[in-house]
Amino acid sequence: MIKKIILMLTLSTGILQAQNIKLKGSDTVLPLAQKEAESYKKAGKGSVSVTGGGSGVGIAALMDGSTDIAASSRKMKMDEKMKLQEAGKKIKEVIIAQDALSVIVHPANKISKLTREQLEGIFTGKIKNWKELGGENLNIVVYSRESSSGTYEFFKEHVLNKKNFANSVLSMPATGAIVQSVSQTKGAIGYIGIAYDNNSVKQLSVSYNQGKSYVEPTVQNAMNSTYPIVRPLYLYYVVSSEKTVKPFIDFILSSGGQAIVKSTGYIPVKK
Amino acid sequence: MNKLFKNLQVGILAFSSLVTTITVLLIVIFLFSEGLSFFNKKPIEPGFIIAVHPDNPITFINPTECKRIFDQDITDWKEVTGHAQPITLVTLEDIGNNYSEEQMGAEMEYLDTCYNHFIQGDKGVIAMIPERNFTNKIKANKLKLDKNSIASFVQGKEWFPTAKPIAQFGAFPLLVGTFLVSLGAILLALPLGLACAIFMSEITSVRIRSYMKPVVELLAGIPSVVYGFFGLVIIVPLIQKVFHLDVGETALAGSIILGIMALPTIITISEDALQNVPKSMREAAYALGATKWQTILTVLIPYARSGITTAAILGIGRAIGETMAVLMVTGNAANTTLNILKPVRTIPATIAAELGEAPNGGIHFQSLFALACILFLITMSINLYVNFISRKKA
Amino acid sequence: MTAAKKQQIAFLIIRTLSILVVGILFVILGFIIIRGIGVINWDFISKMPEEGMLEGGILPAIIGTLYLIAGSILFAFPIGVMSGIYMNEYLKDGPAKRFVRLMTDNLAGVPSIVFGLFGMALFVNKLKFGDSLLAGSLTLGLLALPVIIRTTEEALKAIDDTYRHASYAMGASKLHTIKKIILPAAFPNIITGLILSIGRVSGETAPILFTVAAYFLPRLPHSMFDQAMALPYHLYVLATSGTDIDKARPIAYGTALILIIIVLICNLMANLIRKIQRK
Repeated sequence: MIKKIILMLTLSTGILQAQNIKLKGSDTVLPLAQKEAESYKKAGKGSVSVTGGGSGVGIAALMDGSTDIAASSRKMKMDEKMKLQEAGKKIKEVIIAQDALSVIVHPANKISKLTREQLEGIFTGKIKNWKELGGENLNIVVYSRESSSGTYEFFKEHVLNKKNFANSVLSMPATGAIVQSVSQTKGAIGYIGIAYDNNSVKQLSVSYNQGKSYVEPTVQNAMNSTYPIVRPLYLYYVVSSEKTVKPFIDFILSSGGQAIVKSTGYIPVKK
Repeated sequence: MNKLFKNLQVGILAFSSLVTTITVLLIVIFLFSEGLSFFNKKPIEPGFIIAVHPDNPITFINPTECKRIFDQDITDWKEVTGHAQPITLVTLEDIGNNYSEEQMGAEMEYLDTCYNHFIQGDKGVIAMIPERNFTNKIKANKLKLDKNSIASFVQGKEWFPTAKPIAQFGAFPLLVGTFLVSLGAILLALPLGLACAIFMSEITSVRIRSYMKPVVELLAGIPSVVYGFFGLVIIVPLIQKVFHLDVGETALAGSIILGIMALPTIITISEDALQNVPKSMREAAYALGATKWQTILTVLIPYARSGITTAAILGIGRAIGETMAVLMVTGNAANTTLNILKPVRTIPATIAAELGEAPNGGIHFQSLFALACILFLITMSINLYVNFISRKKA
Repeated sequence: MTAAKKQQIAFLIIRTLSILVVGILFVILGFIIIRGIGVINWDFISKMPEEGMLEGGILPAIIGTLYLIAGSILFAFPIGVMSGIYMNEYLKDGPAKRFVRLMTDNLAGVPSIVFGLFGMALFVNKLKFGDSLLAGSLTLGLLALPVIIRTTEEALKAIDDTYRHASYAMGASKLHTIKKIILPAAFPNIITGLILSIGRVSGETAPILFTVAAYFLPRLPHSMFDQAMALPYHLYVLATSGTDIDKARPIAYGTALILIIIVLICNLMANLIRKIQRK
């Protein structure tokens, strides 16, 4: 009798677990993953739990099996790959969307475009006042994401030419907080995924050819590859659990799922 | 049988009283085993080594120099005791950009040849090479690097835990930030708390006092995220306006919020201390014709001094460890500054903000545990000290 | 200046500062209540989050926090009370008692983020509970333990020794006396401590950050090994992340208010019990 009950319990929990997919990782991917999970549930396909913590946490959780999918805003690092190899886990990588990073300033700021070199100067602390860029006499206040986030690393590599941020930059735990702070601070500058853009801040056009031409950060410009600061968003999963997670990933990559990508403000990978 | 059962029950009681001790021990074991292994490692990205051209006389590099080289602040070897020779940076990506996939091989098996080719072509090269590709085909000097030391951890002025190729683990600005915010908090909270304690204990009626107690309890009960949220929406913009600052996220904002959070501790403990002053002391003072205020000032406060000190110290302890509220309002810039109107980064906020993104078990992860060890040691010594003075009194 | 005048001025300052303290509380409470009250309705507390958590309710966060309270108290309350009993009724004053008390005080002083790290290292990673209600409850339980031990001890200490002597005189054993006489008499005070620690547990964020808290769950947790959303973390998320902070603000105020209401209820109940008992 008891054996039967135990058996039934294990079976039922087994079924419940099969229905529930766990996704964990990058805070950048969260708003998107959350909306996808919401629609996935609404479509009656099953439930997906979404947990933050960051890209590193997601990949670590993938390693010890406490999540089914790791969401990451950066490519898996060398040592993470090596560890997974050691653990004998084969990993699959899927790019579910692209994210364009835009540089934002306070709406009252007169500056509306900057070159990559100027951005580098600002974020590494070489340029300290807006008047050096033809703006008002106002100290520049630099907001950044936390140093460990994928967004930070991408910005560092692709905008700062791998140089380190200045000591004095303010680190915000999440992108939403950057938007909030930049909208409240007159001399502020920050960078965000364009999904986070709203009217309380002003997006700058960016030039990657020493000022010959400036490109506005829009989904269109990112899709036709004229806007330069674009990065992929990844999902990672273990090949052996492909059966469980595939329906959800297929859902994201379907036209319906990619429509959500677009409406959330990210750039679809399938046109 | 009955006796055995009774002994068993007492045994269970005795064991539960040991749970706190066991927990403290476990905390120590887990924190320190993870935190101390940080000091066994080198601050370089795992799986990589740094090498220079074989003719380069440099054999050793320290993290600060390395960062400045890769930030292109140092652009010539002569600045770091080498020959005059412009520095060329080489990362894995540069190899990828300069050589075709065919040249590197499908499984990167010819990567070493590519590296070697690149290095031999430029005497000023400093290269970041994957360890497993650093074969004897590469003719280059591997640079030596010191392990993380406690001294460099505590004194280092730069906190760039993800800098490449060598991370900067300088916790000094974080320590300064933590102390600055806590000190500010206590300077704000002590006068307020003490006044409130004197008011409740000595001045007001029993009835009003019975209304004040729940107020203090409620202040203690409000969750720290709610304080943080309040600080974010109200205090931060207010500070920016009042002081005409560039930014409102400052140490001061943290101090104000933490000060409010430390108030209940200070009020409760100093009120207790005042209440514990023997009645005879007060009466003696009154008999000598002292006014109530004179009695408070010259008899009560000196008598309750150790209790008030305890209150202040425990208040600091509370402030030092507070995480969420501080994370939300202090701006988290790893500045070394004593200016209370500048953004700072505290230890707890650093842990909460970075742990999520740090690869589990990696060096960054461990550095955060090392920070937690520091935090634990600080609060532990505060408790031991308080225990010590309260025992000395008793 | 006369002594009387000095006293007048000093007391004026002290009164003002005390009023300021009370004022701070009311400003914070008032701010959250005024901004949050309009958001709260039945839908808000009974619905799942919708539209990227910008609409709908916060049901899973409320349920998650209730589970966490229940789990941590289930763990900490028995241990805390038993420990308090042993410390007050069995352990004689001496080095052993001092040591245990010192450790309890030390545990009480451990910063909440350190609890979070510890919970992650032990429960999530070492014992392989994963991010789960179990791991979160245990972490929060350890955090609440010193408070419960302390209040139990105080409550027992407050019981007059005549009770004990009378019971022994009737021939009752020590255990029997504790169970039938001492505990019932101390019960109201012990419960007060329990309720206050519930207030504390419900609002902690740092310990659950890496042990249980989920950003979003489309359903309620099924078992101890499920993750859960929780009110304090949800508030943190709403206040700092999400793609549209301005739109999230009303929900953030509502969530903060629900949290405050839980704390208020706990405090009111504790005070009520105290008052009843005093009569």
